[in-house]
Amino acid sequence: MLSEIVFYVNDKKTVFNGNPLTRLIDVLREDLGLTGVKEGCGEGECGACSVIKDGKLVTSCIIPVGAVNGSHIYTIEGIRDTEKGKCIIDAFAEGGAVQCGFCIPGMVMAAYALLSSNPHPTEMDIRKGISGNICRCTGYDLIVESIKLAAEKGGSIWA
Amino acid sequence: MGMTYIPSTLSEALRLRAEKGAKPLAGGTDLMVQSKRGIALAPQFPFDVMIITAIDELKGIRALDDGSVEIGALVTPSEIAASDIVPWHVRQAAAGMGAIALRNTATIGGNIGNASPKGDLPQPLILLDAEVVLASVKGERRMLLDDFILGSKKTALGDDEIIRSVIIPPHDFTYSFYRKIGMRRANAISKLSLSAAAVVKDGEILDFRASSGASGPRVIRSKDAESIIKGHMVEEIPELMDSFLEAWNNAISPHAMPEYRRNTTRRMLGYFLSSIHEGASPGIISEEV
Repeated sequence: MLSEIVFYVNDKKTVFNGNPLTRLIDVLREDLGLTGVKEGCGEGECGACSVIKDGKLVTSCIIPVGAVNGSHIYTIEGIRDTEKGKCIIDAFAEGGAVQCGFCIPGMVMAAYALLSSNPHPTEMDIRKGISGNICRCTGYDLIVESIKLAAEKGGSIWA
Repeated sequence: MGMTYIPSTLSEALRLRAEKGAKPLAGGTDLMVQSKRGIALAPQFPFDVMIITAIDELKGIRALDDGSVEIGALVTPSEIAASDIVPWHVRQAAAGMGAIALRNTATIGGNIGNASPKGDLPQPLILLDAEVVLASVKGERRMLLDDFILGSKKTALGDDEIIRSVIIPPHDFTYSFYRKIGMRRANAISKLSLSAAAVVKDGEILDFRASSGASGPRVIRSKDAESIIKGHMVEEIPELMDSFLEAWNNAISPHAMPEYRRNTTRRMLGYFLSSIHEGASPGIISEEV
């Protein structure tokens, strides 16, 4: 039986001793100050709180921290200075993907998960890859174009 | 407010279940939403909960010696969709659940245990006569999933039991059909879903089955309706069609389905049967263009 939860956030060891039902997003935002993780719906439907857990895209608003013992979590803050992270962020800037910006950290994480497993996505692959991320500005076309740009410009970094 | 436990082995979990009645929380995609309290507030449950995500005995998909496939309760829709041994109908349903992040988090055990009439996995599993394996400190028992789900949000799970795995017996269908209809392509709750399958040999329909999801408190299977087609010849399909569709319509819960759902179900089943009658090549019968 576990009494404390040990996990890694952006490669930093984190020990949590509180209520295991605390939502992962609250630990990330409130305890660790990682406010790039946004809360939209709070029901796992909008993708604004998307993070990568053990290599897979998940929504941190519906995961209890008690379920991440031993896991490696990456947030937008953990990938933004990496080669892959910079590639996506630069492509989003160049492609004009960002309007109000609220959905963008989640979109970048979804793009990161997509390109890491599929370096040469078709437009349909990209649309499916961000199908769990809602942009209320409805700027999907420019986001899709920007992810395509990141795939092209990144080239071998995604292979 | 209940206590929360994090067992690391199945035997610990079974003891907690027996002694405290703690309810299992796996992916959390249903429970965390149902008990949501808002920003920076942890969900609360009026009962004890155990977070079972870490229990290795409940993970993995394996082929059994008799050709069946066993799927551990903690297996996610992403893992099911990517499997090369899980039957096609179940992979299709898994691939159409929610969006990527949800498919990486939800579990087959949760989807069954939650017993929502709109749950995506029970429908194809019941088509395939899948069984559920229930574990307790006293041992294990197996029962047909169709018998396990008693109604909307109701199952035959004992107070000391947890869902351990699902076992799908082998099938070799000549024709298969699956369709989920929701309001959107992604992140949509089923409005309606349908699976169908047939075994045809030398013009004879040796097996015919169908199951409807989101069509009432339980998944609809009707052996009576199936028997109208089963055992007959492919060339007889046109004369059997109306009585089969009528029997299926009667099997559907009288209050659960508005007319458009009935019409859509009738049309899909009619399409599947007509395709067989017209000599479609064996394999997947697809309506998608």
